[in-house]
Amino acid sequence: MTTKDCTELYRKWQQELNERLAKSPERKQQFATSSAIEIDPLYVPDQIDDAYMENVGFPGEYPYTRGVQPNMYRGRLWTMRQYAGFGSAEETNKRFRYLLEQGQTGLSVAFDLPTQIGYDSDDPMATGEVGKVGVAIDSLEDMEVLLNGIPLDKVSTSMTINAPASVLLAMYIVVGEKQGVPAEKLSGTIQNDILKEYIARGTYIFPPQPSMRLITDIFAYCAENVPKWNTISISGYHIREAGSTAVQEVAFTIADGIAYVEAALQAGLDIDRFAPQLSFFFNGHNHFFEEIAKFRAARRMWARLMKERYGAKNPKSWQFRVHTQTGGSTLTAQQPDNNIVRVTLQALAAVLGGTQSLHTNSRDEALALPTEESARIALRTQQIIAFESGVTDTVDPLAGSYFVEYLTDQIEAKALSYLEKIEQMGGAVAAVEAGYMQREIHKQAYETQRKIESGEEKVVGMNCFQLENEPQPELLRVDPELGRKQKERLDALRAKRNQQSVEQTLNQLREAAQGKDNLMPYIIECVRHYATIGEVCGVLRSVFGEYRAV
Amino acid sequence: MEQRIRVLVAKPGLDGHDRGALVVAQALRDEGMEVVYTGLRQTPAQIAAAAIQEDVDCVGLSCLSGAHNELFPEVVRLLREQGADDILVVGGGVIPQEDIPYLKEHGVAEVFTPGTPTSVTADFIRAHVKRKQLTFQKAPKKIAHIGIAVKNLDKALPFYTEQLGLNLLGTEAVESEQVRVAFLGVGESRIELLEPMSADSPIAKFIDKRGEGIHHIAFDVENVAERLHHLQANGIPLINEVPKPGAHGAQIAFIHPKAAGGVLFELCEYPDTSAGKEEGNDE
Repeated sequence: MTTKDCTELYRKWQQELNERLAKSPERKQQFATSSAIEIDPLYVPDQIDDAYMENVGFPGEYPYTRGVQPNMYRGRLWTMRQYAGFGSAEETNKRFRYLLEQGQTGLSVAFDLPTQIGYDSDDPMATGEVGKVGVAIDSLEDMEVLLNGIPLDKVSTSMTINAPASVLLAMYIVVGEKQGVPAEKLSGTIQNDILKEYIARGTYIFPPQPSMRLITDIFAYCAENVPKWNTISISGYHIREAGSTAVQEVAFTIADGIAYVEAALQAGLDIDRFAPQLSFFFNGHNHFFEEIAKFRAARRMWARLMKERYGAKNPKSWQFRVHTQTGGSTLTAQQPDNNIVRVTLQALAAVLGGTQSLHTNSRDEALALPTEESARIALRTQQIIAFESGVTDTVDPLAGSYFVEYLTDQIEAKALSYLEKIEQMGGAVAAVEAGYMQREIHKQAYETQRKIESGEEKVVGMNCFQLENEPQPELLRVDPELGRKQKERLDALRAKRNQQSVEQTLNQLREAAQGKDNLMPYIIECVRHYATIGEVCGVLRSVFGEYRAV
Repeated sequence: MEQRIRVLVAKPGLDGHDRGALVVAQALRDEGMEVVYTGLRQTPAQIAAAAIQEDVDCVGLSCLSGAHNELFPEVVRLLREQGADDILVVGGGVIPQEDIPYLKEHGVAEVFTPGTPTSVTADFIRAHVKRKQLTFQKAPKKIAHIGIAVKNLDKALPFYTEQLGLNLLGTEAVESEQVRVAFLGVGESRIELLEPMSADSPIAKFIDKRGEGIHHIAFDVENVAERLHHLQANGIPLINEVPKPGAHGAQIAFIHPKAAGGVLFELCEYPDTSAGKEEGNDE
């Protein structure tokens, strides 16, 4: 085998970077160590050959192993995006403003379970759950309160919402209109990844087929009207939380991604119209080097898939842009302050892996929702990594490490063999319907539990180095009266809104759902007239039916 | 054989996190229990109905959404309302310590928080499920012997041998119990006369308290350890929690008389050969 010298390509890359820097300068004039050793944006091997170019390459270029931006965090740091939300829209709005004042750069909304499953707060199914794991949103009115005083043209908002993602996005668009921000200026993300709900997270409503239609309707609508919006965040996070390995996280996420791409192509969308708006969501877990390698492998795999298999031409379609959250299931209820250290290592791995945004968990999340103090420490953890550690001074600093490159190759190889198996089963939707991924994850979760109980896997403070008589930390309590208050708000809303227009828009939605029209415009009209999430999802339930787990 | 403990693992409310529930369900299966899992999003009414329908001994509730204070007590209330208050209810998930007393006051027997080994949960369930569901299916083989406390063996024996015509099979001193025993054959069973060897002997104490007379009834059983395990799981008070060696190479254990209205029962397990030989001697 002959190797080709590709040094010329490196010069070209450098030249392009310089042109870019002339237009948008980096965070600092110069990056240097404490000893005044100057730090370059990128370090490369002495011999740049075609093998290097094929597998590793330069950041900001295919196959993106080293990152999606040419100078990564030297240009702009990742978005520090802490997932927050609890209780009422009003309380959550206060927490959002607090986090923005503290230097957070994007919002991430946690919704309560009734909202996530499309029930109003007064639905009997919502008993006990209103405002518990996130904010309760019943109608546009709550969304207006939630986003009050937050400039939607400046702040990007990520919403962890899946089955009713269209409804919440519709509300966001209408709030934007009312603030005078047109839809094309809105930026943010909806999670909108229904497949992993069936696999690992559980907040599904409808069966797979109509769910996939809702998703491709969003793709099509946003490509046209909300171009800066990430229409989906294809999530390995919850798959990992449910117990998978890093390889399974990569494999199942990409398998789901393929399913969404296929669905959109079948719906007649052009690959380069929707693919640039796809984004991903990974877990930041414990094994430091494996985690770093995981991000690198996933970027390379996605780029190759999009370019080679789907023939995407737009480089933005090739880019695996990823949000990361540190692994919630790695937190211990015992000695909760130790979790700060776990989170630091996990966050550092995500940063060295080249994440685009990051949520760091709070130390007390194995016990309850985080207190304000805990949430602040979690944000400070990111800020310390960003501003003090120096790991942001050069791009992909671990590239070329024999170990990290080996792990990257191994993860890719093992994930590809899973993908092959899933293809043989007929793709991710068929594999989910057969319960395949669910079983693989459960097997792994049980194995992990056995190892922890036997002491083979050590969890500091939990199965070793325990403390007797641990002090109990202060925990956040959600107002127990909230369920009642939210019901009262809902009653008042129903009394004052124009009932006739609500019914009219809901009926139009019903007819559209029975046909083939894109549902987004209909849903926007429903929420604009203050139809509740339960009413909108109720109409869709009556047309689509509900999913029952296998 | 002993019936297996049946457990319903349930996810009340809208919470979709079932890693813990699934892991516990499988661990309890591996511990020999029969486990039914409800799947996600069950209302308390659905869970109570399933528990009764499936005739379970225990319901394990898992919730990570913070709705436990509303949902767990409601399951207990509905079970009681439908007369199923003998079903043990336990819970787990992300549950702050300070909520546990409230849940216990409302009928949740125990709460297992993150980091609890599954074996702890299994042991708790075994120790606390109610006996109704756990009938021991097999009767003892026979009455091995009836123990009668006497002050003086030599004085008591002639009545049994000469007046009743029982065959004296032998006498034996059991140092550990400070008792001298005479064995008298009667059909497939025996009468044992027990004479205290010192004032510390349990027999001496019995005679002091209640006078001479019937002291205990012993059953010949196949597996003492298994029966002790079963009795213990059902909360039956025991004098011996593990078998100990008795006369004739038997493994024996006593059940506390307060379990049986003042009657003391002994369980004896004989090694196959010696039991056969002894029965042969009776002829």
